[in-house]
Amino acid sequence: MEISIFGFSISAPSDVIAAWISTVIMGGIITFYVVKTNKFPLIWSYLRTTNHRKIGTLYILFGFLFFSRAGLDALLIRLQLAVPNNEFWLFQFEKYDQLFTTHGTMMIFFAAMPMLLGLMNIVVPLQIGARDLAFPFLNAVGFWLFFAGALIFNFSFFLNSAPGIGWTGYAPLSTSIFTPDVNSDYYVFGVQVSGLGTIFTALNLIVTIIRHRAPGMKWFRMPLFTWATFVTAIMILLAFTVLAIALYLLMFDRMFGTKFFSGPDGDPVYWQHLFWIFGHPEVYILALPAFGIFSDIIPTFSGKRIFGYSAMVFSIVLIGFLSFTVWAHHMLTVGLGPLLNTFFAITTMTIAVPTGIKIFNWLFTLQGGLIRFTVPMLFSLGFIPSFVMGGVTGVMLSVSAADFQFHDSQFVVAHFHYVILASTILGIFAGIYYYYPKMMGLRLDETLGKWHFWLFLIGYHLTFFPMHITGLNGMPRRVFTYDPGDGLTVTNFMSTIGAFLMGAGILFFFWNIFKTHRENEPVSDDPWNGRTLEWTVPSPSPEETFDPMPVVEGMDPLWIVKKEGREMRTTTDHRSTPIARDSILPVLMALSLAALTFCMIYQWFIASAIFAVGLFALFIVRSFTDEKKEHYGKGEAS
Amino acid sequence: MKKLGLLILSGFTLMLSGCSGINVLDPKSSTGKDQAYLIWLSLGIMALVLIVVFILFAYFVYKYRYSEARKDYEPVDVEGNRKLELTYTIIPVILLIILAVPTVRITMEQSPDTSASQKPEDGTTKIEVTGRQFEWEFKHENGASVKDELVLPEDEDIEFNLHSEDLIHSFWIPELAGKVDVFPNKELNYVIRDVERGEYEGKCAEFCGVQHTNMTFSVKVIGKEDYKAYINDLK
Repeated sequence: MEISIFGFSISAPSDVIAAWISTVIMGGIITFYVVKTNKFPLIWSYLRTTNHRKIGTLYILFGFLFFSRAGLDALLIRLQLAVPNNEFWLFQFEKYDQLFTTHGTMMIFFAAMPMLLGLMNIVVPLQIGARDLAFPFLNAVGFWLFFAGALIFNFSFFLNSAPGIGWTGYAPLSTSIFTPDVNSDYYVFGVQVSGLGTIFTALNLIVTIIRHRAPGMKWFRMPLFTWATFVTAIMILLAFTVLAIALYLLMFDRMFGTKFFSGPDGDPVYWQHLFWIFGHPEVYILALPAFGIFSDIIPTFSGKRIFGYSAMVFSIVLIGFLSFTVWAHHMLTVGLGPLLNTFFAITTMTIAVPTGIKIFNWLFTLQGGLIRFTVPMLFSLGFIPSFVMGGVTGVMLSVSAADFQFHDSQFVVAHFHYVILASTILGIFAGIYYYYPKMMGLRLDETLGKWHFWLFLIGYHLTFFPMHITGLNGMPRRVFTYDPGDGLTVTNFMSTIGAFLMGAGILFFFWNIFKTHRENEPVSDDPWNGRTLEWTVPSPSPEETFDPMPVVEGMDPLWIVKKEGREMRTTTDHRSTPIARDSILPVLMALSLAALTFCMIYQWFIASAIFAVGLFALFIVRSFTDEKKEHYGKGEAS
Repeated sequence: MKKLGLLILSGFTLMLSGCSGINVLDPKSSTGKDQAYLIWLSLGIMALVLIVVFILFAYFVYKYRYSEARKDYEPVDVEGNRKLELTYTIIPVILLIILAVPTVRITMEQSPDTSASQKPEDGTTKIEVTGRQFEWEFKHENGASVKDELVLPEDEDIEFNLHSEDLIHSFWIPELAGKVDVFPNKELNYVIRDVERGEYEGKCAEFCGVQHTNMTFSVKVIGKEDYKAYINDLK
């Protein structure tokens, strides 16, 4: 489509134009609202905040924004695949490739990860009695780096340069030999920048959990979400570093003519190894925190402690460890040879054991309980059978010779959507409904929540269950159409209907948030009859929590004092606490890095050098600021 | 909750009953049949697990649900149960071993490798496969080559020597057997045994660029004598 404005003529495809128009309209509405209700002080405070709850809220807000965009991509994919030989809008060929690349990359890096990190940010300090994360400033930097990465990645679409190499970015397709345009650079740099932020946040969480537990909060008294976060953060530290290295090598291949992934000395399989050494742990990085959320919600609404706590901890650690030993099961068809194919089949099967222990422990937590069907509990209950269905196809996929058939077919697409949606996405929704009181001081509407849950769950099974059969009927992934004679029509059409049911579920979630904020009914500190420390602080959690500091006397500390009908013991004798002070530096740092990166993408090296100097100057400014200074002498900072 | 269980179970039976028409589960070579056997075996073992989980889940959720009658019930504090936990650790291990044995056997036999057999055995037909954006080329033993159309002799073992001229593709004929990737910097060998007469469709299974969807080829398995005549005609 060609448009001429003031004599300039711009040609852009109609989907890009539609995106520009809708963004401008949305931007206009939001600006109008901000000006009319004078939200500037609020925005200014969130730009400068280093408080864990506010940063967590920002993570979830933007994570959900990108989740919606990636979800829209999914609906467009399903529309194109609804009927055979379809030509929906312009989503064939490269437009379709861009669609599935954006959908995958955004869902993993810019939706699932930030929403989980957001929940960790909000909940972990409250669960262990920490006043904030160990390094509040670094926490803000981590968030704004994620935001910068997401901004870069999203921007590509508005310039009609969205990458079309799949979220896995396989070489040599992703090298400059086959995709010389800037499109693939947006993938490399967008993921790199946000990955850096993720590494920072992981470090922060590790130190927080080691250093800032309340007196008496021993390792084996920690809530399981904190345990899951701890193991996940260590996995992030290891796995995202490998991803960063892989992306650097790819960047050098693309921009400076090195040949790590092609040519006589390089090998495209190197990329696959590096990517999956990151990529498989990533699957558990997404799943473990969700396991943690379910492990805290299920006991709360069963009125019982978690069944087999130590086995739950042990299996989290074991899953974390094993997840680094299975990466080549994504590569069983690349000809690693019979021995390696067998080895990785066996290691993959092993993971089923600790995962099975977790499933049965959840089931036996329900046994003998008093199950209250609140919305967070519904999401948790919906998770159990759904996740097991994804888990069993996972074991089927580990059978190497059978995987020659499954690999890169729609069967695999069905499998990983089954596990990731059941664990991560249902977990995130369960977590948002459960912790909304701590985030916002409000409780989301239960009736609308139930609509959201049922539509989403039924849509999910309707989308992905038939997809197993689509795959077994021979439909590869990442193809934009099929013939009427292929026997794929019925199952594909069912999947499309299911996807729209899920979309309808999400609309109910939007409506729910709108309604809840409109009614604005404050909620008590402990609306769910909780068991752990986060339910002892006010809703929403204030900036200075745990003053005085509680003394933890066992697992489920709040439950203990509830049973004994007394107040929680407190102390003033505790380790020094982190101090969160507002600062505009994190945003500025992230924006300069984003500008630097943007110039790198277009290879404007002088401009990027200027931004690099600016970034370095911000580091120097930061080195000479000490937000703890005002606290010296009060005996709080050490 | 019951609705959910019902939905899943009915879906499951639908899948089990409708599979005679599903390509991958009804393959036309002994290689593919071994793979389909593994799929059935793993599905069977996993169905056991599924059924146990679904029954326990449905029973617990129904029996221990909140109701007016039970609203004052106070759950007993249970920390865990070592014996029970050991049971559901050991039983899955046994199930996985049962699955692992045939997995190892068939995987060791079928995995594609970089070492080509030097001397073609009797009853083996070699085909050299070249993938490039966005077409397939098949070179028969007598040197004749054809694009996007693969003709094979029935009841023979077919050894494919695959390589790519540009990036990674993946060679897949779902109705015959599993896939193998096609690389620019190495040659892989993959054997499909005892192919049966019929007409099938082959596809590229590794995303390779804009025309990936259309990088398909037709496969015809014909009688041995017809095959000889066919490749001689090509010369």
